[in-house]
Amino acid sequence: MRVTLFDYGAGNIHSLAKALATAEGVDVRVEVDPARAVDTEVLVLPGVGAFGAAAARLAPGREVMRSALERGLPCLGICLGMQLLFDSSDEGEGQGLGYFPGRVTRLAARRVPQIGWNQVDEDSTLSGAKLDTVYYAHSFVCRAEDASVVTGWTTHEEDRFPAVVRRGRVVGVQFHPEKSSSSGVAFVRAFLREVAS
Amino acid sequence: MLTRRLIVCLDVKGGRVVKGVRFEGLRDVGDPVELALRYEQEGADEVTFLDISASNEERDTLLDLVRRTAERLFIPLTVGGGVRTADDVGRALRAGADKVSINSAAVARPEVLTECAERFGAQCVVASIDARKDGSGWRVHTHGGRKPTELEAVAWARECVARGAGEVLLTSIDQDGARSGYDLELTRAVADAVDVPVIASGGAGNAEHVREGLTRGGADAALVAGILHDGLTTVGAIKSLLRESGLPIRSTT
Repeated sequence: MRVTLFDYGAGNIHSLAKALATAEGVDVRVEVDPARAVDTEVLVLPGVGAFGAAAARLAPGREVMRSALERGLPCLGICLGMQLLFDSSDEGEGQGLGYFPGRVTRLAARRVPQIGWNQVDEDSTLSGAKLDTVYYAHSFVCRAEDASVVTGWTTHEEDRFPAVVRRGRVVGVQFHPEKSSSSGVAFVRAFLREVAS
Repeated sequence: MLTRRLIVCLDVKGGRVVKGVRFEGLRDVGDPVELALRYEQEGADEVTFLDISASNEERDTLLDLVRRTAERLFIPLTVGGGVRTADDVGRALRAGADKVSINSAAVARPEVLTECAERFGAQCVVASIDARKDGSGWRVHTHGGRKPTELEAVAWARECVARGAGEVLLTSIDQDGARSGYDLELTRAVADAVDVPVIASGGAGNAEHVREGLTRGGADAALVAGILHDGLTTVGAIKSLLRESGLPIRSTT
């Protein structure tokens, strides 16, 4: 299975690439061109950086990527990568993919960024890997307009926000599965098995 | 609810984990990659590599080490020691670090915190502060605790956060290596003063000290090193005590 990581600049993508590669028969490739990144069997949007800069890198390939997702290209968006699946963000200029309607806004909490391990409630994303306590490092969250796409929630202080969204073969997670130890890696593998295959 | 974190610190020099008292009489403790993986398996919530190298050659070794670790470690990895510029931070992140801690360089030029936060996000910028008791407050020191500065620790922590730090790693120089517990007063003062997570460091001698750092000290996370490497206690034993005390702790069983 060909899995492509869209690399939009800063940040650690090694752990994510290796987490994907733990699944059998997976060939991981890194691509900096957003239009060429969709020439794959599974697209992964990794999660480090700022929305504005990432949206700018995405812009030339935005329409191509969006229509690929609408046509059923399996995709996993992580943290900022999840936010890019939404319309727009308070963090910076530019447009996301708009695959999920909604805006990205700052966490309504005293302690921001949220850094650390937190619980996922009511997780119904995948049958082969139930989410429990996962690792977060973020200041912004996705306010999904359609609550039915939310397949897991997390609460930081008083703010309850989508931990996971899913529509069709596209899954977005606000946490970092590649930093959530063995259960996070199990989630990535289950995604490849259940959603992408 | 966010869980409290237990972070294991590994002092790294020339590609190996070393241990000594105040960086003297260093002895080899083991391979950083293997030790990091072992602590992940035991339930550590994060690993920190503190680079105590003196030369640039050794620093290059560290980046290679970070790369090899990131490929196998699936919990957050922080790298600190000798980080001067936003480009240094970028290199560490590209190599596979999730966060980078900045100490002396931030004191010398506080703008570096803002530059890093703007380029890479506040969540990966850790302000590392070494403080020593001085009268009724605490004075910030740099260069491994040897050089006193004009800065007062609580005010400096506030400024670091205002400039973009997403976390504060707070080390008591007085307590470091003493194994009689964290400086709880210092920890509490900083934890009350800033809205980002504070990591208590310096002085843990047993699991009870970790508990006190998180409860009385009000820290979000506790950094431990020597007591684990020396086998005085284990990650599991510390986390069991924390859980029994009613603290929210990530379960790994």
